[in-house]
Amino acid sequence: MELFTPDFGLVFWMFIAFILLFLVLAKWGWPVIIKSMESRANTIDQGVEDARKAKEQLDNAREEAKKYVEEAQAKQAEMLRDAAKMKTEIIEQAKQEAAEAARREMDAAKLSIEQARKEAELQFRNEVGKFSIDIAEKMVRDQMKSDDAQKRLVDKLLDEIEKN
Amino acid sequence: MSKRLSKILFLLAILVAAPFKGFAEGGDGHAEEENLDVKEIIFEHLGDGYGWEVPFAHAYRIPLPVIVKAEDGKWFCFSSSSLSKVESVEHDGKTHAEAVPVVKTIDRDGKTYSFVIAHVSTHKDKVVQIFPLDANQEQEVAKEVAAAKAQGPVKGGWPVIDGYVCVDGVYYREYRPLDISITKNVAALFISTAIVLLIVMSLVRFYRRRGLKAPRKGMGFMELLVSFVYEGTIKATLGENAKKFAPYLLTCFFFILIMNLLGLIVIFPGGANLTGNIAITLVLAVMTFVMTNVFGTKHYWKEIFWPDVPLWLKCPLPIMQFIEIFGMFTKPAALCVRLFANMMGGHMIVITLTLLIFIFAAFGAAVAGATTVVSILFSLFMLALDVLVSFIQAYVFTTLSTIFIGMAVEHGDHEHAKEHPHTAQGEADAAEAEAQKERFAKEAASMDLK
Repeated sequence: MELFTPDFGLVFWMFIAFILLFLVLAKWGWPVIIKSMESRANTIDQGVEDARKAKEQLDNAREEAKKYVEEAQAKQAEMLRDAAKMKTEIIEQAKQEAAEAARREMDAAKLSIEQARKEAELQFRNEVGKFSIDIAEKMVRDQMKSDDAQKRLVDKLLDEIEKN
Repeated sequence: MSKRLSKILFLLAILVAAPFKGFAEGGDGHAEEENLDVKEIIFEHLGDGYGWEVPFAHAYRIPLPVIVKAEDGKWFCFSSSSLSKVESVEHDGKTHAEAVPVVKTIDRDGKTYSFVIAHVSTHKDKVVQIFPLDANQEQEVAKEVAAAKAQGPVKGGWPVIDGYVCVDGVYYREYRPLDISITKNVAALFISTAIVLLIVMSLVRFYRRRGLKAPRKGMGFMELLVSFVYEGTIKATLGENAKKFAPYLLTCFFFILIMNLLGLIVIFPGGANLTGNIAITLVLAVMTFVMTNVFGTKHYWKEIFWPDVPLWLKCPLPIMQFIEIFGMFTKPAALCVRLFANMMGGHMIVITLTLLIFIFAAFGAAVAGATTVVSILFSLFMLALDVLVSFIQAYVFTTLSTIFIGMAVEHGDHEHAKEHPHTAQGEADAAEAEAQKERFAKEAASMDLK
């Protein structure tokens, strides 16, 4: 029966040891452990949640980026098309302008040539007139050297007047 | 693997051979078997002692302080080594060391105080104060001895007489002093306390130093146990009250676990049958009883004194009240006895299995050899089982304590009590989600800005 009767000394020391252990651990032990464990669990949960959200966001961002890229590509194509159109337009315009300018130049050139020609003609005519006058003078002077000739002319002139 | 197996087989072979060798040396072992007192050996191993056996030297004890209060109220403290001495005892032509009790006499204030570890007494193996007999007492003792001897042969030659102790054939009047000695069990208790402290504080130190890092290896296992008990039992049962009672319940769990496991180690730091001692489990159960009743709510007391049963069950004759009050005490009593009986039973089986070797030695070498192998294998199995039982019993004690406390701190309406933590949790979750949303909005904004 000795086994079933609690020994006072052991009860006494067990009580003291247990109370002391309990007080020490309740003050400095378990709360720290539980708090640490919980805060770590929370951090992990938070991390998982963060990762999930981040992934979601990344997916969204990716989609958005894709959209942007597509948009940009569309814009680029459009711009390229515009550019091509503009290029042809510009070339066309330039061609037209060049043609215009050329035409104008040509016109101006023609005009000046015409003018020059007219001037030259005029000059030439003047020259020719002068020459012919000179020649005529010279011829007249030659022919009118004799009085006979002068008289015949006068006669002829007179005849002509008379005829008229 | 096969190498290990062959090693094991080799060891088994040695075990089988060992008794043969013993017999070869000792001649006949029969004389010893006749003296083999199985009951005493078992009780010695399960019980307490004033010294702690030195490993592998049975007679030698590690001295521990003996603290007693004598009959006249004076306190005495002396080493347990002065209560016994080691003598060479001749036995069957062999000498071996044996611890023999000695009377310790202390002179103080002109008086002589004598203490001895009682042997032939009702206080067997306890320290008693002894006084010489006067004439009347001597007569009484002589009468009692004669009466006992008339009834039949007395074990050891000296009958046990109530109130008297026989030391070396001389009877003395005995007084069992108030005894708070640091016995083997108390020392083991302190060692267990120190180990629990060390384990828990090292875990605390780890958290303090490493913050949110997860502990690995041994400490990881400790954390696993803590979270197993805390998350699995305490939090699940107590809900919002978990933090309040967790220190007590966790202390209980680890204290019991360490004491259980330490009890399974055969030599010095272990070997004390702590949780298999009813004093230890009694204190633990009383603690749970105190916790339950101190923190009991109005509802708990109402359930005891005015439970929801038909009026005739509680009004003229307080039947239910009687049952409930009885239940208040049976619950912790069951806790106490369950742990005690389980652990003591385990120890007892292992010791008995080991003793089988010596019991069967009487039947000859071959039988002894076979028994050795079987006994050792069975003991090993039982010890392995006891490791499991150590965990289970520590866990069961904690779980039941949690449930008892849970029942005591429960508030009136069940639904409210059950719903409350959930809603609180839900609110917390919602708040957290809200905070996170905000954070993400901010992040998104900052990303946009970039």
